[in-house]
Amino acid sequence: MSIMEYNGGSVIAMVGKECVAIASDLRLGNQALGISSNFQKIFPMTDRIYLGLPGLATDVTTLRDTFRYRLNMYKIKEEREIEPETFAHLVSSTLYERRFGPWFIEPVMAGLEKTPSGAYKPFIAATDLIGCINFAKDFVVAGTASSKLFGVAEGLWEPDLEPEDLFETCAQTLLNAVDRDAYSGWGAEVYLITKDKVIKRTLKGRMD
Amino acid sequence: MDISFALTGKGYVIVAADTTAARSIVKMKVDEDKIKVLSPHLLMAYSGEPGDTVQFAEYIERNIRLYHIRNTYALRPPSAASWIRRSLADSLRSRRPYAVNLLVGGYDTSTHTPHLYWIDYLGTMSEVPFAAHGYGAYFALSLLDRYHDPEASVEEGLATLRRCLDEVAKRLVVTPEKYKVKIVDKDGVREVEI
Amino acid sequence: MPDGSFAHSQQRSFNPYTDNGGTILAIAGADFTVIAGDTRQSEGYSIQTRYAPKVFRLTDRAVLAVNGFAADGNMFVKKVKQRLEWYRHAHAKDMPLRAIARLIQTMLYAQRFFPYYVYNILGGIEEDGTGAVYSFDPVGSYEREACRAAGAAQSLVQPFLDNQIYFKNQTAAPGQSHPTHLPLPDVLAIVIDSFTSATERHIEVGDGLEIYVVVAKGRSPQGLDTMRGVQEMSARPDGDRMFVIRRDLKKD
Repeated sequence: MSIMEYNGGSVIAMVGKECVAIASDLRLGNQALGISSNFQKIFPMTDRIYLGLPGLATDVTTLRDTFRYRLNMYKIKEEREIEPETFAHLVSSTLYERRFGPWFIEPVMAGLEKTPSGAYKPFIAATDLIGCINFAKDFVVAGTASSKLFGVAEGLWEPDLEPEDLFETCAQTLLNAVDRDAYSGWGAEVYLITKDKVIKRTLKGRMD
Repeated sequence: MDISFALTGKGYVIVAADTTAARSIVKMKVDEDKIKVLSPHLLMAYSGEPGDTVQFAEYIERNIRLYHIRNTYALRPPSAASWIRRSLADSLRSRRPYAVNLLVGGYDTSTHTPHLYWIDYLGTMSEVPFAAHGYGAYFALSLLDRYHDPEASVEEGLATLRRCLDEVAKRLVVTPEKYKVKIVDKDGVREVEI
Repeated sequence: MPDGSFAHSQQRSFNPYTDNGGTILAIAGADFTVIAGDTRQSEGYSIQTRYAPKVFRLTDRAVLAVNGFAADGNMFVKKVKQRLEWYRHAHAKDMPLRAIARLIQTMLYAQRFFPYYVYNILGGIEEDGTGAVYSFDPVGSYEREACRAAGAAQSLVQPFLDNQIYFKNQTAAPGQSHPTHLPLPDVLAIVIDSFTSATERHIEVGDGLEIYVVVAKGRSPQGLDTMRGVQEMSARPDGDRMFVIRRDLKKD
C-alpha cells in the first residue's frame, strides 16, 4: 500500500500561446472504494495562478489552507499579489520544511506571469513531494495516472496552441489517461487561464 | 467494526449508527449511542478505535459547545466540519494520533441547506450527498448510488436508509442488531425509531 | 554465519528472469496490419545492444512481436517457428493466423508453472483477408483486438492509442461516425508518433524502430511500395505482401 496511491487522483498543466491550462480528475477513493466524485484538487491562489494538489487527500485540504494563509500574509506584507515564479518557490520551501516527514502531495501549478513590458507570459511548474521544482516549458503531470498522462501529452501536445485548442488538448490528454487508471477518473475539470479571463469547465467522462 | 450511514434529503440530514460496543469477539453493550449532538443543528456519528472514539468525540463536543457559549451562536456546519477535520489532520502527525472516522451532518440555518461531511481518521474530508463508514460502506454505497434522491422527503429518506440496513442484515457476516437514527433539519435534532 | 555445517539453516536463491525493456505495438487495418517494436535491449540502466529485433516474420502473412525477457522471447519465437515448419511439412501450407494464435496459447500455457516471461502480440492477415491483432499474456490468455501496446511503455502508449485508434472520448460530428479502420498512412503516422513519444519519456525505449506491414493479397499497399527506405520481403508479388520500415529513434 503506497500512501501516494491511497486516495488516487491526477493533475496536468499545459502551456499554450499566451495561455495556460490546468486540469484534474474529481475522484476521491479509499484504495479501490470510491468515496466521492466531486473532490476538487485544483485551487485558485491568485486571479491568475492555479494550484493542483494530487496525493494524500488530507494533505490536499491542509496544504490548500496553508497556502491560503501564506498568500494572505504575503499580500498584507507586500501590498501586491504574488507572481507565479515566486509562488513556485513558496510551494517548494513549504514542502521542504517537512523534508523528513513530508506532505504526501506532488503540486502542479499554472499561471500567467507579468513581464516588465506589461504583457503576460505562460508559466507552469511542478514539484515532487519534498519540493524539488520542475520548470517545464511544455507540460507537467502528477498523480496516479502520471505515466499515462506523460504518454498521451507527449503525443498530443504541440507548441503555441490557441486557448480553445489548448483546452481540447488538455482535456483529451486527461480523459484518456485517467480512463486507463483505476485510481483516477470519476469526472474531471479543466481551468483555461488567459490574460483577460479564466474559464472553468467540468467534464463528465467515463464514470467507472 | 462499527457501521454508520448518513444521507441528505430535502432540508434534512439522516445519520444512523449501530449501537454495539464490542471488545474482540464479545459484545459488551448493545445500546451505545455513537451519534453526538454537537449543537442545535449539528450531528456527528463517530467510529473507529475504541477509547479514541469517545475521547475525541467528547473533545469535539466540548469545544463546539465552548464556541457556542462564547459567541452566543453555534458554528455553522461547513466551519464546524472544517475545524473538526483540522483537529484530526493535526492529530495524524502527532505522537499518538486518534483513529476516529466521522460523519458530520448539519442544517445550516442561515442558508437553509443541509450539509453532510465524510471524514476519516487521516483528516480526509469531502462534502457528499450520502456516506458510510465501516463494512456497511461496501454494501450501502451502491444502493445509495441507485436510490438516493436529494429532493426526497424524510419518509423517503428513511425508506432508503432502511434498504441499506436490510442489505447489511442480509449480506454481512456479523450483523449489528440495533441502530440509532437521528435527523437534523430546520427544527433541530430529533431521534427516530427504525 | 554459514560454515558448511547443518547447525544453521541456509537459503539460496536464483532468479531465472530479468526484464530487458523495450516496447511493442500492433494495429490492425481493414486489409492490412502494422506490427512494430523498438530495437533497444537493456538490463537495468545498461544498454546491452541498440539493435536486437523484437518483431519476427513467422509466415507470409503472420508477424510476431515479443517483449519482456529477451532470452525467453528468442527461445519462444524459435519454438513457434519450428512448430510452423512442422505444420508446413505435414500439411503443405502455412498455418492460418487464428490457428497460430491458438498454438501460441497452448505453447505458453504448457509452461504455466515456469512461464516464458514475455508478452506476445501477433499480427497479420486472417484467412478472410482482414487485418488482425492478437495479444497474449505470459501464460496464454489471448484476445483479438484492433490495436495493442505492450512492454515498458505500455502505460504511455495504450491510452494514446485508445484516443487515436478507437477515438475514445471523442464525439463524431453530427450525422457522422468514427471510422472503424484507419488508412495505412494514418496508422503509420500514429505508430511513429507513439514510439517517438515513448522514446522521449521512457529510458528503456529508443535506438531504432522496426515496423512490419502486412498487406492482404490483391489489396493496395497505399503508396508504401514507393515510400523511401522501405524493404519489401514478400515471398511472391501476387500473394500477401510484407514490408519492413526501419527508422532511427533517439539514442539517449
